[in-house]
Amino acid sequence: MREIFNIFCKKFKALKTFFIFLLITFFCFIKPSYSKDFNYYDDLVKDWIKIFPDQNRNAAGPKFFKHILDKEITYQDFIEYNKLYCAVSGSLISPNSRPDFVYLKSAENGEKICGFYHKCCFPCSCDLMKYSQVKNMKYKFSDGEKEFTVLTIKNPCGKKDFPREVNRNYFCNGEVLDNNQVVSIDNRLVIGLLHNSSKCNEQSIAAIDKDEYTGAYCELRNNAPLEQVQGGMGDIFIKMARD
Amino acid sequence: MVIKYLLKLFLVLIFFVSINQSKADFFKDITSLIDNNDFRLSYGVSVTDINQDNKYEFVVTGFGFSNLALSYQNGKLININKNEIFDDAKRKTIGVAACDIDQDGFEEIYFLNTDTYSGEKKYSDRLIDNSSNGFVDLFEKDINKKNLNLTAGRSVVCVDRNGNGKYGIYVANYGGPTRFYEQSSRQIQDLAEQLKINKITGGRAVVAGNILSGKTDIFAANERGKNFLYYNSDGFFQDIAKDYKVDDPFENGRGTTLSDILYRGRLDIITSNWNGYHRAFVLEDNKFKDIATPTYNIPSRIRTVISADFDNDGYDEIFMNNIGEPNKLFKIKENGFFEEINIKNAYEANGLGTGAAVADIDDDGILELLIAHGESGMQPLTMYKADIKKDFNYLRIKPLNKFGAPARGATVILRSNLRKHAKTIDAGSGYLCQMEPVAHYGIREGEKNISIDVIWTNGLLETFNVNELNKTIKIRQK
Repeated sequence: MREIFNIFCKKFKALKTFFIFLLITFFCFIKPSYSKDFNYYDDLVKDWIKIFPDQNRNAAGPKFFKHILDKEITYQDFIEYNKLYCAVSGSLISPNSRPDFVYLKSAENGEKICGFYHKCCFPCSCDLMKYSQVKNMKYKFSDGEKEFTVLTIKNPCGKKDFPREVNRNYFCNGEVLDNNQVVSIDNRLVIGLLHNSSKCNEQSIAAIDKDEYTGAYCELRNNAPLEQVQGGMGDIFIKMARD
Repeated sequence: MVIKYLLKLFLVLIFFVSINQSKADFFKDITSLIDNNDFRLSYGVSVTDINQDNKYEFVVTGFGFSNLALSYQNGKLININKNEIFDDAKRKTIGVAACDIDQDGFEEIYFLNTDTYSGEKKYSDRLIDNSSNGFVDLFEKDINKKNLNLTAGRSVVCVDRNGNGKYGIYVANYGGPTRFYEQSSRQIQDLAEQLKINKITGGRAVVAGNILSGKTDIFAANERGKNFLYYNSDGFFQDIAKDYKVDDPFENGRGTTLSDILYRGRLDIITSNWNGYHRAFVLEDNKFKDIATPTYNIPSRIRTVISADFDNDGYDEIFMNNIGEPNKLFKIKENGFFEEINIKNAYEANGLGTGAAVADIDDDGILELLIAHGESGMQPLTMYKADIKKDFNYLRIKPLNKFGAPARGATVILRSNLRKHAKTIDAGSGYLCQMEPVAHYGIREGEKNISIDVIWTNGLLETFNVNELNKTIKIRQK
């Protein structure tokens, strides 16, 4: 009788161990579930030190973009994450901040593409409109392949005047873009996402040009000599993005 | 002599410049018609007949200020209310809607009071009935005291859920359960739980009308939570917002209205989001598709949104009332193209818009737009109407249900050689507001063979031929 009891106990222990192992495995491989209740911002804050180990986020929108793309998420999650950092400065942006309506040149055919840019401050919208160009990108998310419009700049890795405020090692492997750390298309560095993009019509261009910031303020900023450019990232992003 | 000549020349120049400027603008400012137009905190505006004289008044809510009943008399908009309960300057009223809840043919008025941002509030709402003793608040009756709404709320909308002319009132609460009030055996009862619509959310805007079911459905634009689209199934409701892709979970809902965006004889949903993308949801293959593009969908500090034909050209405009930034106006052209119209009057660069409503208050065939202001600063009301120089034609359809009350929630469809154009008889829309219960159509150039369909709140359709334009046609339900 005692033997039967011992065998049962041993089997039960083995069963218990197996059950605990199953539970641990389940929790190790479970993916976070994203929903309206999921706090994308908190998640990015939590990951911040992983994205920027040296804590230098200057002009490091590309690092955010790659980090988000590498998460196994739906397209909608991807959209929501990409509203929460400034592609130009690399700064986090508070949830529900209001985007700017901007136009940029297409790197593919030179057409003006209009869309919404989530920025940390107005000067970044100006710098983006002047120094960045857009490209189309396709990617397979957990809910299928989607096409969207990304903000890009020319490969800056060969620049002799690469701004010292920016961690070059985040982007470059020698003079080549480091695709382990950033996303590139046709040797252009992807710095962020242009939301709700479409080919501009006259009405859209007029609205952007007459806006207090994307119109008058940007004209002033984008025509100032580089040494006089202040606000936003100052000249850091410009040095990295200009031809 | 030379100075005199130059002075004359200057005056002539000024005259022509001013003429040109006035010609160039869409609206003309008629604010001066509002009598005793003081600085105040106003919110929602409704249009109803408060004194049963067969003419509509603008009912303007006051937040710690008097509720007003503005009647057009002798070329002026005058507050005709003298009743203390209606005036209610001690309470803070923001939402308002009127409909006939007791089937006597006259509309009761629901004033939504809010003294906190969210959750529990101190003062209840009021449900004003115009009885033989003057205005009485039905919520003050002992029998109704256990059913008071003591949760902070925003908008209210009237819903004839059974299509029998017995209106209920959906109260979009904030941080507490949604309410749905109906009168039964002279008692006001909250049926929200029974109808399974007592959800807790950040209720903001709400509209009701013939969206999908053929009867009165409800669309609620919420903040910090998904929108609701309640499909009316024999007077009960089922939330299908997610399936129909109008739940918009990441935006914060505001001004909402029903509009026939594609001029195809059905109502689609125009809804806006606070500092977020404004939507134009059009039904396509059993899903709603957002067809809004820039510059229409550019985020703004939006409050009320109104769809109406201000200039009587047969195309509806969308008026976007923003708070603390300029208002915007778009014309809905064919194929869902929103053409922005630059406005000077009604632009209100520093306006603190909180609510707005339209009505042809002076009965001249052109809609008046009344804008309320407040929240972050006291401002007077403003009023505008389209500056129409050329000849125009219009048609106004006023459906009354079998009790003689405005058939709010019914749909009117104008059919002609050029369009099929649906309009709702407004049950509550914009944001905190309610428009006049009339389908107002401008007539297009070359338009002929006009007939009218009315889809009543019970889903039945009646067709009427139109032989004469430029009038308001009353249509009574059989």
